[in-house]
Amino acid sequence: MSLRARNKIRAPRRGMAGSKTNDFETSWAELSSSLKKIHTKDASALSFEEIYRKSYNIVLGMRGTELYERIQQLEREWLDTEVHKLVTGAISPSLLLAKQLVDAQDQANERRDAGERFLAVLKEAWEDHQLCMKMITDVLMYMDRVMSTDHRKPSIYVASMALFRDHVLRAPIRSDTSTSVYDVLESTVLFMLQLERSGHIIDRPLIRHCVYMLEGLYETITEEESTKLYLTVFEPAFLEASKKFYQAEGRRLLETGDAATFCKVATERLSEETERCIDTLSSLSKTKIKDVLDNELIKNNIAEVVKLEGTGVRTMLDNDRIDNLRSVYVLSARVDSKKTPLTTAVQRRIVEMGKEINASAIASQVSATAAGKKPAPGEKKPAEKPVNQQTVAAIKWVDDILRLKQKFDNIWENAFESDQVLQSAITSSFSEFINLSQGGDSRSSEYLSLFFDENLKKGIKGKTDSEIDTLLDNGITLLRYIKDKDMFEAYYKKHLSRRLLMKRSVSMDAERQMISKMKMEVGNQFTQRLESMFKDMTISEDLTSSYKEHMRQSSDPDQKRIELDINVLTSTMWPMEIMSNARNDEVQLPPILPKEVDSVKQSFEQFYLGKHNGRKLSWQASMGTADIRATFQRANGKVQRHELNVSTYAMIILLLFNDVPAGESLTYTEIQERTRIPDHDLIRNLQSLAVAPKTRVLKKDPMSKDVKPTDKFVFNNEFQSPFMKVRIGVVSGSANKVENQDQRKETEKKMSEERGASIEAAIVRIMKQRKTLIHSQLMTEVLSQLSARFVPDVNMIKKRIESLIDREYLERVEEDPPTYGYVA
Amino acid sequence: MSTSDSSSSSQSEYVTLVSGDGFEFVIPRSTACVSGTIRRMLEPSSRFSESVTGRCVLENISGIVLEKVCEYFCYNEKNKNQTYVPDMDIPPELCLELLMAADYLDA
Repeated sequence: MSLRARNKIRAPRRGMAGSKTNDFETSWAELSSSLKKIHTKDASALSFEEIYRKSYNIVLGMRGTELYERIQQLEREWLDTEVHKLVTGAISPSLLLAKQLVDAQDQANERRDAGERFLAVLKEAWEDHQLCMKMITDVLMYMDRVMSTDHRKPSIYVASMALFRDHVLRAPIRSDTSTSVYDVLESTVLFMLQLERSGHIIDRPLIRHCVYMLEGLYETITEEESTKLYLTVFEPAFLEASKKFYQAEGRRLLETGDAATFCKVATERLSEETERCIDTLSSLSKTKIKDVLDNELIKNNIAEVVKLEGTGVRTMLDNDRIDNLRSVYVLSARVDSKKTPLTTAVQRRIVEMGKEINASAIASQVSATAAGKKPAPGEKKPAEKPVNQQTVAAIKWVDDILRLKQKFDNIWENAFESDQVLQSAITSSFSEFINLSQGGDSRSSEYLSLFFDENLKKGIKGKTDSEIDTLLDNGITLLRYIKDKDMFEAYYKKHLSRRLLMKRSVSMDAERQMISKMKMEVGNQFTQRLESMFKDMTISEDLTSSYKEHMRQSSDPDQKRIELDINVLTSTMWPMEIMSNARNDEVQLPPILPKEVDSVKQSFEQFYLGKHNGRKLSWQASMGTADIRATFQRANGKVQRHELNVSTYAMIILLLFNDVPAGESLTYTEIQERTRIPDHDLIRNLQSLAVAPKTRVLKKDPMSKDVKPTDKFVFNNEFQSPFMKVRIGVVSGSANKVENQDQRKETEKKMSEERGASIEAAIVRIMKQRKTLIHSQLMTEVLSQLSARFVPDVNMIKKRIESLIDREYLERVEEDPPTYGYVA
Repeated sequence: MSTSDSSSSSQSEYVTLVSGDGFEFVIPRSTACVSGTIRRMLEPSSRFSESVTGRCVLENISGIVLEKVCEYFCYNEKNKNQTYVPDMDIPPELCLELLMAADYLDA
């Protein structure tokens, strides 16, 4: 056809594409009928090329805008008449009833069937529209291209989607009502979801398709993501309905009053809603519906759930319902990083249980004291029992707390996912009840020390190293909670000194281990004195052996020697009550020792002072023990020997009877005059010698429990014992036990003196470094320095500052703000 | 034009392009789909007659131009993933008509 001559560019032939005005009308007539055929799914007879070419020619003929308008008009009419009729036809009256009528089952079923029919029709209409419009858009591609680039019109596809939105969805279902098709759609879908939430099975894919439709339609012609009909209209309605539903659900679950059920249902609902978003609705709503659940179902109700009587967290804790607790924790963690209701409940329960433990410890103490006050006449060991009971109570207290701690550790680990917030809550609750004053004063320090005492004396016998280790670690855990560590130190020191002096400790290794553990936990300063006690013990051993060596060399070999085991103790490091001779502020003369013993004492003093010049030895007979060999002259002439292990005082008393003719007696007053043993100790020693049933080396007249000044004592030659060696313990003297009220006051007085000194030392330390300091800063520094040992009383600090000013260590530099200066 | 072999033709690897003056060109389907118009024409889901038969009659393109168009399709297919593409020889007298065909075929 084309001549290839002269390389000339020829204009294309226009003949075939020739477009005249009258051509437009004919072309349009053909086009519109073709488009209608597409809508009626009659397209296979149509030639794409033909339609395409027609629209191409029309657009080339500059009639594109007109064509665009006409097609829109055509679509509008099609939707208005055919599609709208079809869709509204599927709306049955039951769908128009009041929205929330789910109560009547058959009605619900009817509505559901009608709804499914309607949704199916709507879905069908929508999918048809989509398909047809796709075909039409393809066919009219050329027009679209020109229109969108040259005239900035939306693609015919977009335009027709908007038409569907306005002429089908938003059209009223009947001319006489304002209810639109969309309204019916929304209420139907929500109704279906409601059905599913109450356990029915619904046609999920069908709803999903209708949601696809809403996701495919936009509010504006520019089709921004945020203007999807789903997001603008449906989702708010859905969330609102869900909100109402879960509010009601929350109330309903609370009314059933079972926390475990609540958690179970809530957890299920959470996964259910997520699943629903994926399967039935749109994943766009996933986080939003979760928020609704979190807020409406969990956040608003969790506090109530935690508190629920009989099934709440309290009961779960009591019964170790790890699973339930875990659900509560997980739910709480969703809505509140602090998990306040759960934390408070756990804390309250710990404190409650802790108080119970405290109370039972006190109760057993009270009953013990009550039993001690009026011993039953037939009871043989009236003095021992209450003491033991109290000690047992103390140890039980520690054991109970350890058990409680273990229980909560387990819960914390397994149910609370080792949550930091809860850990600190648990710790602070433990610390709270352990430091809780019980009737004015906290006995936890003492109890804990007794616990260690008991274990180091007996408890660890036959245990492996690792078992001992765990045991001690457990105790240390409790020590961590105790605020007044100085109090604990005082008790521990006291108990330790008894263990060391009486050689009651099972294993020195364990003792040392204990000290090093405490050092790790509380610090060097804390254990310093305890360690020096150990040092004293070691030095004393050396001293004893070198003294023995010295004696062997210097004295006559035939002299009846008395073996001496001596412990020389540094008076500042050991507990005060052991060191002091003064009781009730009156100076007590040292007891008169029998001459045999006295000579040994003098010889040792000589030996010791010869080695260490300028030291002063003061003898503490109350802490000593003696082994004596006693000869019992039986009535039938036989002689029975026993080795008696007695306290030093008892030895002194017994040696008195060496000088008393057989059968003669000494009165209490006589004994006291000859020995100068303090009343308190004398009574106790006489009790153990003459009253305690198994160790009655002396006979008392009259035979009664109490020792009176007029009582007479006589050596008991009839003494019987199955053992060669007899240990005569001193009644309530040597054993470490719970203090009585007076002793406690004493301890506390000492404690507060000691604290005063610590506070002063701290103040001076700080001021020496800072030279001048504002009052409030000084307070904080003092508090922070001392808090490792105890919690200082603010008033006490103030008093100490005053007294330091009086003594001119400090001066007031300024009044406002109050500032102190250090006086060098 | 028979509709009996619809299923086979919709899957068939080759399609037939027919010019306005009756020339037929059989080329691979994928090659022809370089053109947006032809691709939509053959779109299986829309079920126009072209997609049913696999035969596209392009009424306003002459055989000589369509030949060049098919050549371009194959040229395009051949040099799809290459960096250095040799120039395609286009006779100047066909330029305008080819341009129009390109516009029409959206290629």
